[in-house]
Amino acid sequence: MGGTVEEGELKPRWSKTVAGVTSGALLLMAVPAVGFASVANAAAKPTYTIGYEGPLSGGYQQLGLNMVFAVQLAIQQANLNAKMPFKLKLATFDDQGSSTLAPAQAQAAIQNGRLVAMIGPAFSGATEAAEPYYKAAHMATVSPSATAAALAKGSQNNFMRVVAGDDVQGAADANFLVKTHGLKSLVVINNGSFYGAGLASVVATQAKKDGASVTTYTYPTTGSCGGTASVSEYTSAATQIVASHPAGLFYGGYYCGLGLLLGALASAGYKGTVMSDDGSWTTQLIAGTTPTSAANGVYVSEAGGGNANLTGKLATEYKALSHFTANGATYAAQAYDATNMVIQALRDLKRSPNVKVLRRQLIGQLHRMTFRGVTGVIKFQGNGDLSRSSFVDFGKVDASSNTIVAVGHS
Amino acid sequence: MGAFAHFLAGHFDTLRLEFWSLLVGGVANGFIYGMVAVGYTLVYGVLRLINFAHSEIFMTGGFASYFVLRAVMGTSVPSGWATFGVILVGIIVGGTSGALAATLLERVAYRTLRRRNAPKLAYLISAIGASYFLFNLAGKEFGRYNESMPQPYINHPVFTIFGAPVQLYYLVIVAAGAIMWLILDRFVAATKLGRGIRAVAQDAETASLMGVNIDRTIAITFALGGALGGVGGFLFGLGSGVVYTMGFVPALKAFTAAVLGGIGNLRGAMIGGLILGVVESLSIAFVQAAYFDVVAFGILVLVLLVRPTGILGERLGRSA
Amino acid sequence: MITWWRQPWIRRLMTSLAVVAVVELMTGPSGSFAAPTTGLIGSYNERVSVYGLFVGRRWMVFLVLALAFFGVWSAWLRGGPRMRAALRASTASPRDVASRRPVRWGFYVVLLVVAGFLPHLVNDPYWQSVLVEQIAVFVLLALGLNVVVGFAGLLDLGFVAFYAIGAYTTAWVTGALPTPAPFDVHLNPFWAIPVAIVFVMVAGILLGTPTLRLRGDYLAIVTLGFGEIITIFANNLYGITGGSYGSGGTTGSHPIPHFSIALGPIHYRWTLAPVPYYYLTLVFVVLFIIGFSLLEHSRIGRAWTAIREDEVAAESVGINPLKYKVMAFAIGAASAGFAGVVTASQSNFIFPATFTLQLSINVLVLVIFGGMGSIPGVVAGAVVIQTVSMYLIHTPPAGFQESDLYMYIGALLIVTMIFRPAGLIPSRRRRREIVLSEAGESHADEVLTGDVA
Repeated sequence: MGGTVEEGELKPRWSKTVAGVTSGALLLMAVPAVGFASVANAAAKPTYTIGYEGPLSGGYQQLGLNMVFAVQLAIQQANLNAKMPFKLKLATFDDQGSSTLAPAQAQAAIQNGRLVAMIGPAFSGATEAAEPYYKAAHMATVSPSATAAALAKGSQNNFMRVVAGDDVQGAADANFLVKTHGLKSLVVINNGSFYGAGLASVVATQAKKDGASVTTYTYPTTGSCGGTASVSEYTSAATQIVASHPAGLFYGGYYCGLGLLLGALASAGYKGTVMSDDGSWTTQLIAGTTPTSAANGVYVSEAGGGNANLTGKLATEYKALSHFTANGATYAAQAYDATNMVIQALRDLKRSPNVKVLRRQLIGQLHRMTFRGVTGVIKFQGNGDLSRSSFVDFGKVDASSNTIVAVGHS
Repeated sequence: MGAFAHFLAGHFDTLRLEFWSLLVGGVANGFIYGMVAVGYTLVYGVLRLINFAHSEIFMTGGFASYFVLRAVMGTSVPSGWATFGVILVGIIVGGTSGALAATLLERVAYRTLRRRNAPKLAYLISAIGASYFLFNLAGKEFGRYNESMPQPYINHPVFTIFGAPVQLYYLVIVAAGAIMWLILDRFVAATKLGRGIRAVAQDAETASLMGVNIDRTIAITFALGGALGGVGGFLFGLGSGVVYTMGFVPALKAFTAAVLGGIGNLRGAMIGGLILGVVESLSIAFVQAAYFDVVAFGILVLVLLVRPTGILGERLGRSA
Repeated sequence: MITWWRQPWIRRLMTSLAVVAVVELMTGPSGSFAAPTTGLIGSYNERVSVYGLFVGRRWMVFLVLALAFFGVWSAWLRGGPRMRAALRASTASPRDVASRRPVRWGFYVVLLVVAGFLPHLVNDPYWQSVLVEQIAVFVLLALGLNVVVGFAGLLDLGFVAFYAIGAYTTAWVTGALPTPAPFDVHLNPFWAIPVAIVFVMVAGILLGTPTLRLRGDYLAIVTLGFGEIITIFANNLYGITGGSYGSGGTTGSHPIPHFSIALGPIHYRWTLAPVPYYYLTLVFVVLFIIGFSLLEHSRIGRAWTAIREDEVAAESVGINPLKYKVMAFAIGAASAGFAGVVTASQSNFIFPATFTLQLSINVLVLVIFGGMGSIPGVVAGAVVIQTVSMYLIHTPPAGFQESDLYMYIGALLIVTMIFRPAGLIPSRRRRREIVLSEAGESHADEVLTGDVA
């Protein structure tokens, strides 16, 4: 089965994350070994395990490593804290970001008798596939990075996330196009991935609400980079788009597909505005567009929380642990917050000795508490989304200098 | 009923408005399909089997020319004769690498089986294996994302046909495709090696009795088809960049084109490519782009069922 | 007098170098467009410094491996036939014993018992779910494709389509698709089994009747197209299949239920746990194995062999090739349909991204590697390859990524075709056909060379 990671629906900022993959692979082997350092009072305190599920190998490995070292940092700090009434261990579960592999990892996780809560899963598609298992086991999963809108549902959801969902971003994007730029006719395209389709449907709904006329398309053959991309398909898509003379276009998906579409749009003579999401917020978009000038002036967006970094002393400690620069480690800050929040919840509880009960208690506690982390104040709604309103950053591609210039936020 | 008429009218409106620009794009695509289809047709002529790994020869041409162009050009955009020179370099590199890859493929995945007189299914499976191996190896070594080819010119409309702009890129494709195809056509029709290919295609055993070196002829056939496929890869990459899976869909379309024109038939391959390119392009007026590949498959199945010998008929071994 | 570079040992040395170079490339670190790796040296960046050339020990590893390979090869050429004969002499008697019926049956019973205890032997949640999702399901798929490719000699590259139809039918009748279910009640997946199997068989007949007239290599392309079309439709018909969101649609609200039994006093409900699913699937695997082997030795099976070996001759003795080929298509599809039911019910949600061409190729590899037409062969092939694949994915060695898997699978296909064309455990018929074909006395796949009907 296997195949490529079809729905890598998190927010990859590749420019920041390409470096260090191989060194990371070596470091990863050290991860399980560095569970907790101090041995003082270890016998007296109970030990709980916190899990992490995400891509720890494969094409998205770097993102998983960014997060897992942050999780480890939080656990290490907690174990060094003498006041902490328990000891913590980390267990990692590698799903490679794939929805095919995620269920097996989830089952492995829930059968671990000391595991009380999960940080992750990292990717939306993997989360969608793994969540039935976690839900059945009543295990809290706090994701640092899974943003698909459809994941937040119900009340007392065992799935929670410390980043804004795509619905926030999608609505802001629609407002940016329709209200800020006054575009009254939009074409909304998605790449057929769980992430792209979800985001595009939010944009379409909000744009209609804002009074624009909206046409939607799906061009799904390129689910992610390296799908069987049919360029002639993009040529035809471009022709169809140009024929309907839209004032603006939104693309929900990744830079790979968008790059192909931009090239096709340029040769079809499209002159309107183009906007995309955080999946396209990377200079790889410019390299992947033929000719590169066709990427010029494209707007991209990203949920504001996505920019937070570990700073100061934390950054130094993170670097010592991971050898990554914290400033470029996408989602490290979110993973750090998610872990600390779980630790805090564990601390606040009157902990049941039965892990199965403890898992349920944790879900309740996480929903009750308000936590001040490095990415801001975190409080969950019943469906697992953040209750604070987040802003969304906008960027504009400048192909000639090969950069993405920030142009404000919502 | 009225709704249906309205639907049709709406679509025909698109067709009427966009006809010429769709046609131009279709013809350019068609030339690429045709160039790749020639590779299928040539190999089918001498071996009576589909070279499933032809898509990876296309990919090789694209990748090799990408790296050479990047080394030659850097980030500058050349002009005048330099543009012409860079395009020529791309064509030569694409063609040579395609021919090399095809010959190597023949040596490893085909000749070993032919020596053993293996059953036919074995060739198909071996070629599928080769295809999977090659594109995944390329993905591993060069990354699994797309990268744009350095542009030797700034693409712009050169002139218009009935209001439809004809871009420089399209002109490059058509010129390169037409010239390469003409050379190949003459080569097969008029040279000694070409006669050898035709003889093997007609009757391998007799040809070998007449002194034709079968192994060498087959290798040359692969190389010729590979050269055109490789150039196709370069031209395709020029317009849409290179990625390790770039060969899959165009090669499938090209195969359709080869069958459409009549497999084994050089002219048929080119004509089939053109027809497929144009029909596919015009179909945009009627179907959503997501169903685009369904159109090509539909055409393939229809042709195979209705007229399996193709438009110009199968011509194994006759002069082009 | 041959020129120096044509001398056999020089060529052997060159080939050894090339083979080891390719292996080093395959197992080396991954690269990018900016920094392609050479495999031999480590990374592009290392190579930039001359120093790096000598620090990276991969050069030495490369030379040593190449020389070792060359040495083994040369030794094999010199002493190979003798060694092979010795090997054959030493294993001759067990093979004779194994061909005796009681011994063979005993062996099968032992295997079945081992299979029964397997989930408790591995006793690791990852491997337990792999047993169901990646091994049992793939054994089913391989058994089905074996009917089409192995028995009838038809190369089907779109086998995944039947698997997808099975899974989507299950989602449909259990009410998990955006399309309303066909019955008022949302069925238990047990009832989806017959419905799905009927659906895939009908699909097989509908696809097969027009296309099976085509010669073999055309058939491969058309089936490939069919597989792709099914995926395209599943991905785009949002109102019917849920599009790229999968069976749950945008809301993901209604999962496909698990199997459950309520037969008189017996009440049992399957859950997310993989082990009960393993036993359920095992029962069906055994049923399909029994069914397909009975079929192989029946009149239908003999007709398939006859068509595969010489279609014209088969036709002249009154066998209608088209009828039997369509039959192979439909019967082979049945087990894929069942695999679809299990997958859908076990994982609760289905996504079109699961049903890719790669999956078709993967199943094809299991059949080819195991031995076309040999039921023990394809089962063994499926178990071996899937176990190794899932092991590599679970504990990836340095330099390995999941996406590299298909590179190895492609290489395995070529190597199998060159060195062991009849597969791991060859079927007797197929081995005989290949021997005959290689002796030039007959064609193993007359279907492929037969002209358009």
